[in-house]
Amino acid sequence: MEKFNLSTSRLNALIKHLMTRGIVYAPHKNGEVSFSFDEVRDPGKVILNYNRTLQSIKKYFLPPREQLLSFSLKSGSLSKVEPENPLRIFLGVHSYDMQAVLRLDYNFSQGNPELNYLKRRQNSLFIGVSFEPDTYHFSRSVGIMVEEFDGFDLFLDKHSSGYTLYVVTQAGEELLSGFDHLEEAPDRPATHREFRNKIKYNFNRLSEVFDHAWDSSVWEEIAQRCVGCGTCNLVCPTCYCFDVEDDVNLSLADGSRYRSWDGCMLNSFAKVAGGENFRADLSDRQRHRVYRKFKYITDVTGEPWCVGCGRCTAYCTAGISIVETVNRLCEEYEQTVLRKPLAKQDWVL
Amino acid sequence: MKSDQIKPNKPKIAFFDFTSCEGCQLNKLNLENELPDILRHVELVEFREAMDDKADYYDIAFIEGSLSTPSCINRIHDIRRRSNILVALGACATIGGINSMKNLQPIETVRETVYGEEKYRFPTLPAIPVSAVVKVDYEIRGCPMSIPEFLRVLKALLMGKAPNLPDSAVCVECKLRENECLYDRGIVCLGPVTVGGCEAICPSFGQFCTGCRGLVPNPNKDAMLDILTQHGLSLEDAQKRFLLFNSYNIESKSIT
Ligand code: SF4
Ligand code: SF4
Ligand code: SF4
Ligand code: SF4
Ligand code: SF4
Repeated sequence: MEKFNLSTSRLNALIKHLMTRGIVYAPHKNGEVSFSFDEVRDPGKVILNYNRTLQSIKKYFLPPREQLLSFSLKSGSLSKVEPENPLRIFLGVHSYDMQAVLRLDYNFSQGNPELNYLKRRQNSLFIGVSFEPDTYHFSRSVGIMVEEFDGFDLFLDKHSSGYTLYVVTQAGEELLSGFDHLEEAPDRPATHREFRNKIKYNFNRLSEVFDHAWDSSVWEEIAQRCVGCGTCNLVCPTCYCFDVEDDVNLSLADGSRYRSWDGCMLNSFAKVAGGENFRADLSDRQRHRVYRKFKYITDVTGEPWCVGCGRCTAYCTAGISIVETVNRLCEEYEQTVLRKPLAKQDWVL
Repeated sequence: MKSDQIKPNKPKIAFFDFTSCEGCQLNKLNLENELPDILRHVELVEFREAMDDKADYYDIAFIEGSLSTPSCINRIHDIRRRSNILVALGACATIGGINSMKNLQPIETVRETVYGEEKYRFPTLPAIPVSAVVKVDYEIRGCPMSIPEFLRVLKALLMGKAPNLPDSAVCVECKLRENECLYDRGIVCLGPVTVGGCEAICPSFGQFCTGCRGLVPNPNKDAMLDILTQHGLSLEDAQKRFLLFNSYNIESKSIT
C-alpha cells in the first residue's frame, strides 16, 4: 500500500485540495465540549483530533428527518422526492463509524432495498483518521481496530510528528491527483495506542452468552435506572429505525410525507393499532435494544452490530453503560451456565 | 336528499379560558398568517367568555387554563356536554402547570394568604388539569402552547383524523438537532422525562428544560431524581425542579 508523509502544516492544503473535488464534511467543534460533522467552509476550523462526534456520518445517508413524497388529495397524485447525490468526501472518520456505515449498507440493501439511503451513499468517499481511545471507546472489543482501513479510500494515521497518509483504494489515489509534493513515507513501527479489551469475552462468543441472557435480572436492574429517553438509540451509528408521518398544509388539499428517526427505547415504538404496546416495560425495551446489537443481526451476519463507539454510554444521562451490561451477562453466563454442573438431560442421551 | 343538504356545515369551534395567564390566547394571536386559511374551514363561535351568544353545540372546544374553583367545575361540565371534541390547550389545561404549585400547601392557607378577610367570598379548590374532571380528547402541550402543534391537531381534526401527538422525551428532539447535551456543560435538565414536541427549543438555546410539556407516560421519576442528584442537585432542589410545572402529577401520584 502506498503511503506518504503529511506534516500537520500541510493538512489545510490537503483539505483545500479536497474542496476542489467535492463537498467536504469533517468534524468541527459543537458547543463547549462536543464535536459534529459539518460541511467544511474554512479548513482552519476542521478538528481531526476529537474523541467522538455527537452524531455519526449516518445523518448524511439517513437524515434525521426527510421528505419522502409530496401529494395532492384533490387530484390523488403523488410524487417522490428524489434525494441528491453530489460527490461527497467525508474527512476524519473514525474506523468504528466507517464500520457502522458498512453495516447500514447491509441493512438497507437486504430485502426491499432502501433506495433513498442507497442513492445518497453512491457518491461518497471516506478518509479515515486514527484516534486515541478514551474511556468510552471499546471498538477493539468488537473486532474493530483504530487503524482498520476497511471502507476507507484514504487513511490518516497520526503520529508524533504529523500524519502518515495511506492510499487504500484507486478512488483514494485519484482524489490525491493534483496534490503535489507528497513524499513517500518510510516504514515505521505502528503507533502504540493503549486500547484494552473492555468486554470480558471475545465478540464471537457473545452470541452464546446471549442465548442464556433472556431471563437475566440485569434487564430489570438497568430499567430501574433508565428513564426511557431514547438517547442511546438516537446516537447509535447502527440504529436505523424510523417513523413515517403525513402532514397536510392549511388548504387541507396538499401535503407531504416525512420520515424521521425513531428508537426502540421510546414508549410508543412498539405500540400498535388498538393501543396495545408489546414492549411497554423499560426492561423489555432494554433487552430488545441490546439483543439488536449483539444477537439478532449478528446471528445472521456473524458480526456484532455494535461498533463500540461508546456514544450510548457517553450520552446516557443515567450513566447506563453497554459494556457493563454485556460484562454482567458474561459473568452470569459463567456462573449459571459454564460452572453449573450439567443438568441430567444434557448428558443422558 | 339534495346534495347541498348532505354537505356538512363548517365545523363550529370555540375557545374557553379558565385559570391561566392567557399566554396561550396571546400565542394564538401569533397565528396572523395562518388565520385567514383557518377561518375558511371553520366557524368560530366563541372566543371568550364575554361573548354572550352561547352556541348549543361545538364541534371542537379548545380549553385553556386549569380548573381551580367550584364554578370552573360546573362550567367545564357544561362545555363538555355541548362539545363533540374537547381539546386542552397549554400546560395549565393539560397538566395543571404552574398553578398547581398551589396544591403543595393546605388549600385554606392558600385561600387566606391570597384573599385575607375576604376569603369567604372566594371559594377555591386545588388547581387541576381539565382531564381530572371531564374526558379530554386531545392535549396540546407547552407553556405557552405550541403553535405548530395546535395547527397539526386542528388540521387533523378537520380532516377527520386522529392527530398524531408525540409522547417521547425532549431528548429525542435534541438528538435530531444534534445539540450538545446540557449535562455535558454541567447543567441539569428535565428533558429526559418531559414530553417533546417543542423541537427542544429551550436546550437548543442553552436553557434547561423545566418540564412545561408534562411528564412522558409512565415516567421513571425515581431514576430522574437520581440523575438530577448525581449531577449535583440536592434531593430537595431536584424535587423542586419537578414541582414547577408538574405538581399535579407528582402530588396526585405521590413519589416523594
Ligand atoms: S440513554 Fe440511558 S436513560 Fe435514556 S433510554 Fe437509553 S439507557 Fe435509558
Ligand atoms: S450500541 Fe452504543 S457503543 Fe454500540 S454502536 Fe451503538 S451507540 Fe455505539
Ligand atoms: S400554559 Fe403557560 S402560557 Fe398557557 S395559559 Fe398556562 S401559564 Fe399561560
Ligand atoms: S439537553 Fe436536556 S433535553 Fe437535550 S439531550 Fe440533554 S437532557 Fe435531553
Ligand atoms: S424544552 Fe422543556 S421547558 Fe422548553 S418548551 Fe420544551 S418542554 Fe417546555
